[in-house]
Amino acid sequence: MLTIGKLALAGNISADALRYYEREGLIAPTSKTDSGYRLYGEDAVRRVRFIQHAQACGFTLAEIRELLLLRQSDSACCNDVRQRAIEKKLQLAAKIRAMQTMSAALDRLIVECADGAQPVDECPILAALEQVDVDTERTP
Amino acid sequence: MKIELFYAPGCERCAPVKAELQAAAAMIGDVEWYEVNVLDSLDRAVELGVLTLPTLAIDGELVFAALPTPVQLRQALLKRIGHD
Repeated sequence: MLTIGKLALAGNISADALRYYEREGLIAPTSKTDSGYRLYGEDAVRRVRFIQHAQACGFTLAEIRELLLLRQSDSACCNDVRQRAIEKKLQLAAKIRAMQTMSAALDRLIVECADGAQPVDECPILAALEQVDVDTERTP
Repeated sequence: MKIELFYAPGCERCAPVKAELQAAAAMIGDVEWYEVNVLDSLDRAVELGVLTLPTLAIDGELVFAALPTPVQLRQALLKRIGHD
């Protein structure tokens, strides 16, 4: 059995993060000592790594909880997991596209500000951003 | 009208409803039916805002929050051609 400190060390994660995972229903101690300290089974290390890998792929903790449930479900198959992976890829691709649009908008603003020595109150970037605010306020 | 059904290969929810939806669309008449594998056409799916699967677009617009029933699809198509 592992204490929370040993599990944190094995999973390269903080004890606070493990307690947070527990509150989110992702991991639970197998038992507790007489003094109330959490004790985890050896499979907890694998579970922590699973959570970390899934987070690195962009899954939220709620989505990871679903993946963990799928992993334990007898009726689930690989296609159920694959479907979630494809939907996550769609979400990431949409975010990338939105960020590319933002980046392009910044490119346009940067080009407009050719003279960096201008006083701040004549800064075309700030003026353009203010203009956006005015336009937004006019939107019904 | 152009209908695009976005799906992922191996989707078990897609197959049973696909034929029914296609039949409902065919009854309307002038409808082009396309089945789009998102893994082959990710850019198209992202362009239309597809986030969950399966989903369906009419003339490039995601009209339904979830996959419609054949009746809902028929109603949406009729509305588009002004027969509602």
